[in-house]
Amino acid sequence: MTAATPTPKPAKKPKDLMSRIPAGFVRAVLRGHSSLGLAFAALIYLVCLSGSIAVFAHEFQRWESASAPQLTDATPEAVQTAFEGAIAKGGPGVEHVYITLPTNDFPRLLLHVDADTDREFVADAAGKLAPSIEFAWTEFITRLHINLHLPRTWGGFLVGLIGVALLSSLISGILAHPRIFRDAFHLRLGGSKRLQEADLHNRLGVWALPFHIIISLTGAFLGLTTIIVGVLGMAMFNGDVNKVYALFIPAPPVDDPRPAPALDLRPMYAKLPQDGGRLTYIFTEHPTEMGGAALFNVEHPNRLAGTDSYAFRRDATIYNAKKAATNNLGEDILASAGAVHFGWFGGGLIKIVYFALGLGLTYLAASGVHIWLARRRDKGRPAPGWERAWAATVWGQPAGIAAAAVAGLAIASAPAAIAAWLVVSLIFLLAAIRLPATSLSTLGRLATGALTLAAAATHLALRGGIGTADSMAWIVNLSLIAGGLFLLLWKRGGPTTAAKPEPATGPA
Amino acid sequence: MMEDSSPLVPALLMLVGVGTGVWMLRQSWGARDARGRGWMLGGWLLIAASFVRPIWALGAARGTFIALALFSTAALAVVAANYTIRQAKARAARESLAPEPSDRATTKGRETLRWLLAGPIGMIAAMGVGIAYAALVPGEQQTRLVVGGLIVPVAWGACMAWTLADNRILRATAVLVGVAVVSFSAAIVKGFA
Repeated sequence: MTAATPTPKPAKKPKDLMSRIPAGFVRAVLRGHSSLGLAFAALIYLVCLSGSIAVFAHEFQRWESASAPQLTDATPEAVQTAFEGAIAKGGPGVEHVYITLPTNDFPRLLLHVDADTDREFVADAAGKLAPSIEFAWTEFITRLHINLHLPRTWGGFLVGLIGVALLSSLISGILAHPRIFRDAFHLRLGGSKRLQEADLHNRLGVWALPFHIIISLTGAFLGLTTIIVGVLGMAMFNGDVNKVYALFIPAPPVDDPRPAPALDLRPMYAKLPQDGGRLTYIFTEHPTEMGGAALFNVEHPNRLAGTDSYAFRRDATIYNAKKAATNNLGEDILASAGAVHFGWFGGGLIKIVYFALGLGLTYLAASGVHIWLARRRDKGRPAPGWERAWAATVWGQPAGIAAAAVAGLAIASAPAAIAAWLVVSLIFLLAAIRLPATSLSTLGRLATGALTLAAAATHLALRGGIGTADSMAWIVNLSLIAGGLFLLLWKRGGPTTAAKPEPATGPA
Repeated sequence: MMEDSSPLVPALLMLVGVGTGVWMLRQSWGARDARGRGWMLGGWLLIAASFVRPIWALGAARGTFIALALFSTAALAVVAANYTIRQAKARAARESLAPEPSDRATTKGRETLRWLLAGPIGMIAAMGVGIAYAALVPGEQQTRLVVGGLIVPVAWGACMAWTLADNRILRATAVLVGVAVVSFSAAIVKGFA
């Protein structure tokens, strides 16, 4: 911490590289930075906020299925029993069954049946199915981040565009920051709101830049994949996008729709190499047809893109085997982009770091608008309407997301969660017509805190209660209670109430 | 069957190393004399050395991304720990240092063109660059396609930053249209092999 004692007058230092950028250029770039930030602020804020929470998607799945059987390993016989049971209970029109095998991070045997109506099941160590489980909240938050609950292609493209806008803002933000080195360690709180926000905005933006670039680049890449592949297919493969996908994905099995008993996965298990990998996922296609097939994913430790895949026909012959060790750079990048984007590669510690840095990025989006609003106020041109609208957005979204958690748990339906989020968001926007920004912020903070506590209470009442065996449910509930209480009890201090004075002379 | 190595110990060691390194950079930043260079050199060396352990212990790619995330966290912690309280009297002097966005004269037509350049035209030009990379640069097919795909958001983002800042909008139009025509033409003529 900085001591309050005055320091001698600084000697004049030579100008650093960034300080030599012409002022006119800086002002022009700042104009572009400001325009882009304002145009995309609400969407960037929403995508960053939902993404920060979605880092814990697996933990939320455990939370939502707290009363389901827990296991750290599953025998082939148990998987086969669960697989056949899921097909039988899945209803007509089963196209695919996705089987997630238990791991330390996710101790469940989870089966997703893609049929006329999609359903999910969790099985015990013998393969017996527990009652069907709805991961409504996890579905809500991940889909909010990935496609904003819009149709997948368009929603994905929009989120990709938001990633590009964020990447562009990072580029222009650095170019518009000539004091990047001179102010590298300044964090001056209090005094003018605009300058306080600017210090927070700039320090967060600069020191977390590697994280911001990784997130925005992988996010934009993942979101834009469909359109990039579409244009690539049109330009270079006579419009056949399947030729592009075929370079990365094993060819599908020959279609044979004649009915057949459920695939037998056990002989396929027996053919997997015993090379230290861990089977994590089985993807079955047309499992009740003669043309059925199964793809086994085997993960190797300490590799971002360390998944081998083995594709089997119905008769358990392998028709495609791909070892991660033989991946080229492009295949490695593609296979790791999702994990790198969501922080799913370094255990709980990295998830917490991603969550914290993600919230920092969310704050970056919010503070950019705060700076613009404060600048207008400083110049005698306040925009109270925009101040209200922005306060309603900044606090309406977390309140809406917390309401979605309550609805998702109580009604066990993703559409109910979406409806709750929309209703609360709308209420805040309507309240912005009458209420001042400060009241909206206070109301939003209290509503978010209360709804977060309500989510924990709903979980305790309906999803396992205090008797739940999964420690993750306790961790999530305690985190929600701590977060909710913090929001309810947190009192924001005035800008000059802290007792730590700025040194009389700051470093040049 | 093996699980990923726990990142906890390498991560904690790295946090200490990077935190100390960033603290040394801060000493350099605050120094008024030649000692500053020593602090800076020592700080960057310590930060670089702190990256080695997680990369060695947790895998090259996995360790690098873990290290990058922890670097930002440790650096922000050092910055946050050294916050100061601004005094009201200092406000006026500091305000004059903040750069202001330019206040350029514009018309509706120019603003529309500017956003078209930042949006769809920039996207087409960026896709042209990415696809031209995939078609023209030697290497494995998958690598060319993925790197070309990664070029698209970077190039589009750069286009956005440039076109929204540049006052000479016709120059930006000519460059982007030219890039799109040349890159798509070159890619289609060469084909993908």
